[in-house]
Amino acid sequence: MTTGALIFAFNNSDIDYLALAAWSADNIKRHLGIPVAVVTDISESDHLDKFDQIITASTDAGGHRFFDDIGKSVQWFNSNRTDAYSLSPWDNTLVLDADYVVASDQLKCVLNTTQNFLCHRRAYDLTGTQDFEDLNYFGRHKMPMWWATVMYFNRSQQSQLLFESMTMIKQNWQHYKNIYGTGRSVYRNDHALSISLCTLNGHTTDHPTIPWNLASVTPSHKLSKIDQDYYRIDFNNSEQKPRWVDIKNCDFHAMGKGHLGDIIANIK
Amino acid sequence: MPILNERGYLIPAVNNTSVDYIECAKLLATSIKSFHPTAKICLLTDKHIDDSIFDYVKILPHGDQSPNQEWKLNNDWQCFTASPFRQTIKLEADMIATSPIDHWWTVFEHRDLAISQGCRDFYGQLSKSRYYRKVFDSNNLPDVYNAITYWRVSQTAKEFFDLVRAIFSDWDSFKKLLKFPDDVPTTDLVYAMAANIVGVENCILPTNFGPTIVHMKRHIIPTHTSDWSNELIWENADPGLRIHTITQSGFFHYHIKDWAKTNE
Repeated sequence: MTTGALIFAFNNSDIDYLALAAWSADNIKRHLGIPVAVVTDISESDHLDKFDQIITASTDAGGHRFFDDIGKSVQWFNSNRTDAYSLSPWDNTLVLDADYVVASDQLKCVLNTTQNFLCHRRAYDLTGTQDFEDLNYFGRHKMPMWWATVMYFNRSQQSQLLFESMTMIKQNWQHYKNIYGTGRSVYRNDHALSISLCTLNGHTTDHPTIPWNLASVTPSHKLSKIDQDYYRIDFNNSEQKPRWVDIKNCDFHAMGKGHLGDIIANIK
Repeated sequence: MPILNERGYLIPAVNNTSVDYIECAKLLATSIKSFHPTAKICLLTDKHIDDSIFDYVKILPHGDQSPNQEWKLNNDWQCFTASPFRQTIKLEADMIATSPIDHWWTVFEHRDLAISQGCRDFYGQLSKSRYYRKVFDSNNLPDVYNAITYWRVSQTAKEFFDLVRAIFSDWDSFKKLLKFPDDVPTTDLVYAMAANIVGVENCILPTNFGPTIVHMKRHIIPTHTSDWSNELIWENADPGLRIHTITQSGFFHYHIKDWAKTNE
């Protein structure tokens, strides 16, 4: 049985996702001790040396999104996340966003699970200044949302059906968009994952998840690195007074790709 | 009333000018029997009706105590003496069973009395909304919902329903005990007051332990209008029900009475 991580990395004009993924691969190996495969459309780059396996694939544009830390709307290419099951070279796969920072060995317990599939149900703002309720639900009627940022799956019928279901939802996104009233024209992996999980679990919202919430740093907060696995978030509190918090040996989702990109660029 | 069966479901239903609660009760009874064909069900009402879906039809022993009111709440205290069961689960008429429920007897059977606490939205999430519960919070009353109430023939249950009768009958005196009381008492509020007097621990199960209703009122569920049936997709799963793709469980309090007609 093989166990490894899988990262999707498709660059756009503003964010070097392959660089983020290569940096993350180092962290994953250091903390989790597992090999890392990358799915990318880039065939020549020094970053590719960081990966144990390189899977070449193309992807469609997922859509545009505005990032505070970049200061403009950028296009992202992650809509083939639904192919993770067929693309992964591992028996047990940990899919991580390129901007997920592994700074501890906490995910080892996910790798030891007996569940076929796990992901996060809820995310939260590490500074405590933003209420993530609008991000933890989606659509006109506040459907609970499960996050595709960190996904564990094994080779099982359940996992296969889940990703096939996500693909079906992606292919019929207009229909699901109408049902759930997402108000967005673009497809999003988190939404497809949420709908698939509910459908496959008997149309219920009760299914196993990673037993802690997804720590997150929002793009409007400045992320900087103090030392290895030691970061600082600068933000303004509700009274607009500058504050900061340190996070040490704690995994988190850096939603602001620009700040993370700067950290990695400075390491070089 | 003589005890005719050990366990059964009691549905009080008296029609008013706008709502045919007896039709609601038939729909509820049908939904229960779709999961539990041998379940015993008693309709408690103000007139004789003949329908085989009910195992028993009982007439309110003291008659309709709210002849001039649209909302026939003052009759509730009669449930205790009218029930033909040694162990009764009383259900509000405007609900349907959406899943098997007979495991609740095992949860309840060690108690004299158990009133459901809290409610859920159609995703199955416990409601955090206090919009309809301000008087409860202001008076530190338990968050009870009489829609599902269990009792066995016992001194505790008798004491409780005697209090329910007393509070309904003398609301003008009892409401002086409350901050910001309603002019007209609701059954939930009266049950909460009676539970406080009998002892809350004798009237409710531990939090998150017993059954809760799915409540389809606007400020409980994330809809934008009062009539959820115009806004959400609903599917009969025969038996069972899905609301906006989510499979429902336990009792579904549909709130929109006209929805029952379309679902018959």
